Amino acid sequence: MKKTQTKAQANPRPKQPSATGPNAKASTNGAGALANSPSRRNPHGIPDYRLEIPNFRTVEEWINGEFRYSVEGDFSAPAPPLRESKYLTKEKTIELYRYMWLNRKMEQTLENLFKQQKVVGGVYLGLGQEGCSCASAMALRDGDWIGPMIRNQGALLVRGFKSRDIIMQYMAKADAPTGGRDAGSHFGDQREKHVVAPISMLGDLIPVLAGVALGARLQGKSIACLTWVGDGGQSTGPTYEGFNFAAVQKLGVILIVENNLWAYSTPVERQFACKDLADRSIGYGVPGFIVDGTDPNQVYDVTHEAAQRAYAGEGASLIEAKMMRMRGHAMHDAAAYVPKPYVEYWKKRDPILRMEKYLLEKGWLSEEQNKALIDAAQKQIDQDREFADASPFPEGSTAGERVFCDNSVQIPFAYGGPKVQKVEKRKAGSASDVAHFR
Amino acid sequence: MTTYLEAIREGIWEEMERDPAVFCVGEDIGVYGGAFKVTEGFIHHFGSERVIDTPIAESAIVSAAFGASLTGMRPVAEFQFMDFISSAHNQIVNMVAKANYRWGAPAPLVLRGPSGGGVSGGPFHSQNPETYYAHTPGLKVICPATPTDAKGLIKSAIRDNNPCLFFEHKFLYRRVKEELPSGDYTVEIGKARTHREGRDLSVITYAAMVYVAQKAAEILAKEGIEVEIIDLRTVAPLDREAIADTVKKTNRAIILHEDTKTGGLAGEITAVINELAFDDLDAPIARIASLDTPVPFSPPLEKFFLPKVEDVVREARRLRRY
Repeated sequence: MKKTQTKAQANPRPKQPSATGPNAKASTNGAGALANSPSRRNPHGIPDYRLEIPNFRTVEEWINGEFRYSVEGDFSAPAPPLRESKYLTKEKTIELYRYMWLNRKMEQTLENLFKQQKVVGGVYLGLGQEGCSCASAMALRDGDWIGPMIRNQGALLVRGFKSRDIIMQYMAKADAPTGGRDAGSHFGDQREKHVVAPISMLGDLIPVLAGVALGARLQGKSIACLTWVGDGGQSTGPTYEGFNFAAVQKLGVILIVENNLWAYSTPVERQFACKDLADRSIGYGVPGFIVDGTDPNQVYDVTHEAAQRAYAGEGASLIEAKMMRMRGHAMHDAAAYVPKPYVEYWKKRDPILRMEKYLLEKGWLSEEQNKALIDAAQKQIDQDREFADASPFPEGSTAGERVFCDNSVQIPFAYGGPKVQKVEKRKAGSASDVAHFR
Repeated sequence: MTTYLEAIREGIWEEMERDPAVFCVGEDIGVYGGAFKVTEGFIHHFGSERVIDTPIAESAIVSAAFGASLTGMRPVAEFQFMDFISSAHNQIVNMVAKANYRWGAPAPLVLRGPSGGGVSGGPFHSQNPETYYAHTPGLKVICPATPTDAKGLIKSAIRDNNPCLFFEHKFLYRRVKEELPSGDYTVEIGKARTHREGRDLSVITYAAMVYVAQKAAEILAKEGIEVEIIDLRTVAPLDREAIADTVKKTNRAIILHEDTKTGGLAGEITAVINELAFDDLDAPIARIASLDTPVPFSPPLEKFFLPKVEDVVREARRLRRY
């Protein structure tokens, strides 16, 4: 045991300059220099890219002997334009816009299938959140991983799953990615698309994505691992455990906290006591950011920069995307607890309508091209629905299969195999006699 | 002669030398070498990349191991005490155990650590939580009793394509030792072992209770009762065949475990005998297990709580007379 290691051997993480520029002012939370300048900083120094800062809050009141939520604040402001993206080209912007439409059309189809009772179980919609899901997933490279939650179905489409895959998942069909073993967006792909299947318990993907980044690093590769959690899900213990682990190990986890104001029926005021969830980045010791979750350009740019830091071995980032869940928790939930002014306000901030206006005004799409794009998305979804409808249910008798993976299976390495220092073979030697209990 | 603890060390060490995909992750396993020193010296030999000290966060440890396994790595995660596995329960039973079934993602990881009582560890450093996990489809649960098995089974667990929970008995760590087979050997997961041959009665047991059964068998032999001891070695999957075979041979069975009685593994093994060897029974099946209480701290209390040699002797005599 005489061999000494240099620090570099013990901790061989790539040291490259950050993708962010050298001249911008460093934030107090260690966000470093930013090429893409924020609109402001919040009271704790967190860069905030939003073009408007809504000023309203949910309050509790008793009306005619009933408890209900109402709102305080000014809801009259018109929706601002999208921010210009520093990184999205015209082609990429249109591609993003197309994914957003596919996401929405697919979910509208799922709603119809639910009403026709062709869906088994519940349907969870990401209405109003398509821009955030699609733009953030698009900011990654092929070798990166994502861990999507139920409202990130758009991210699954961006990663290369077909809408038919998702529709078949909801219909519990044999040709669905899990073959009917799990529901809805609960599926993944380890080998090609690099998607971790979520479980219903919240926050649990965060430490898993940290582990994926760790596995990649042991194979000599710094990757970005993107996952999302809601304002409700971030209350869980695994959120803290997982993100702290990523921060300590400097793993390239990008955590997007989708603050959509409602955790099922519980408003954010009953979920956390701080004003901005991005403030938590200070406690983790990682850069934090605030974006408008209904502005895909803001989401893309900040995620893109977070990914660049991940590739450079600079560790994790926390992005709070503020928006609103525009439907109930699932199809059965009419969301009657949400005060009307909220709905009106956020309807004006529909990410697809905002992106449509942006593209038309910029002249990147003509009215005809826009219509053709939307029609093509609808046509794709219609075909996929027919395909899904025709797929059979799985054979009941196959329920017992695949609990274990056969040991003859060769599990491949995602990045070519471990790149760890070679060790000379020698005996393990003996442990000392010190022990916690005798 | 190699102790149970040294055997586990050797097993992990040799696997790390053989396969660079194997790495260790856990609390205080690096510079300190682990609370029981299982990984002492590993960090110097294999480097801090492969022997990773973590925050005190069991859920994150299990998840990170799982995430790394998705990229093809083979993590060996240590719980400082197996009692703390409850802090990672959700990740184990929902994220890890169901992964291959749900989305075809094998999880070749090992979750290991010290379990069991007899050391006055109190309610949170003495438990035997294996049955929670034996009840969860998708997990392999291993509870070795001998140094030879401990080494052979930890190697098999590391090479297995599925999540393996490896319960080391801390009472045995430095108390049992034997000559290990030479060379690179493994022991098959899911196969029981006959610890002692006998014709009159079977004691089906595992882990530290194997030695309680052995002491009882020595006493009973003097009375002419020849006890057969079956060491299950793996509690999930259970070696149903070995359980049936011994009962068919002796026609009498005692099931002995250190975990508490109600809902414990003895009930399941009883059902296996009922399904496979009911007609061969000449006496009712006896269960000997710990009291249905938390594991008490004070030595006289813990002694009363744990199954004793006298319990086995008494039950054996009763079944013999039946």
